[in-house]
Amino acid sequence: MIYDWKKIVKNGLPLLTLFVFIEIFAGQILQGQQDTLVKLPIFLISIPVINGVGGNLGSVLGARIASGLHVGYINSDLKDKTMHENLFTSILVGIFVYFVLAILIYLVVSFSNKQVGIVPMKFISVVLGAGVLLVCVVCIASIFTAFWSFKKGLDPDDNVAPVVTTIGDTLGIIFLFILIGVVGI
Amino acid sequence: MFAKEMVKQSLPLLILCGIGGIVAGSALGIMIDLIQKIPGLIVVIPAIIAMRGNISTAFGSRLGSAYHLGIIDADNMWNEELKQNIIGSIILSFLISLIIGILAFITTVILFGTYFDLGILAVKLIFIVLIAGLISALILTLLTIIIIYLVFKRGYDPDNITGPALATFGDIITILCIFSSTLFVEVVI
Repeated sequence: MIYDWKKIVKNGLPLLTLFVFIEIFAGQILQGQQDTLVKLPIFLISIPVINGVGGNLGSVLGARIASGLHVGYINSDLKDKTMHENLFTSILVGIFVYFVLAILIYLVVSFSNKQVGIVPMKFISVVLGAGVLLVCVVCIASIFTAFWSFKKGLDPDDNVAPVVTTIGDTLGIIFLFILIGVVGI
Repeated sequence: MFAKEMVKQSLPLLILCGIGGIVAGSALGIMIDLIQKIPGLIVVIPAIIAMRGNISTAFGSRLGSAYHLGIIDADNMWNEELKQNIIGSIILSFLISLIIGILAFITTVILFGTYFDLGILAVKLIFIVLIAGLISALILTLLTIIIIYLVFKRGYDPDNITGPALATFGDIITILCIFSSTLFVEVVI
């Protein structure tokens, strides 16, 4: 037998516990900004979207870099051309996806008979701004995690997704509130 | 060449995941009254969602590897290897949920010092997280097994399908589990 529940628990527990601490930190930021979220629920609705897309883009990029490293068409070098191409494409895709989804969220909330409480331009700027910042940071983190795991002889496929989603959740929330402050709501 | 292929393959999935996010977010929007009523509730939400995502994608990718190693397939699913994986995921969910509940309670009391009866708040938060964590674990484990079974039947590679599918449905199911367990705890306690 290959799998044993005790081994699964023992391997998973340390990293998951570390992530819980980081996520609780993110949750406390939400709690601190609760008044904004109650006044403008459209931002509460946006949080899973901002975090989800950021995490997904980072994981896809990480998996592509990991495959490239395994097969050998990407070198573990910060000047690698193919890696740059993948990074820029991810960021461009991110800008496009966040723009489309921001419009979609605004439409959904407008049609659900609620007071939106914010003009479309401001809302789209906040989501797009937070999203683009998040994608840049998450993608760079994803590349560094992939390179680091590969150098250590670990499989990047095991490490990139959990690291990227945890960073994405925390920074997504922080960037959202920074942008709310910058745009001025 | 890379760019075109990546945009073509990942864009539809990203938009779909975003729409899933909007559904999950709207479920959060419904909870806003409960969030205002129970201090600390908003704190546990990102942690439970992240735990669920991490545990079930790891479960899914282990089953994917088991398939590639020839340990399980469509005709031989319910064997001891699968059972060990299920038990492992559920026990991990229980332990991590307990940590989330305790940590959310302690940090909330330190940072915001509530008017609440502290004993009741601790019991409420821990039970909300435990019930939501365990029920979402059961539902998502079952869902993963069903997805994997269908993927095996069709002869696809489970590695390409389970991750995105779990990411899209996982968040929505988890938020609905938190919502129902909060309602349940509010009624009982």
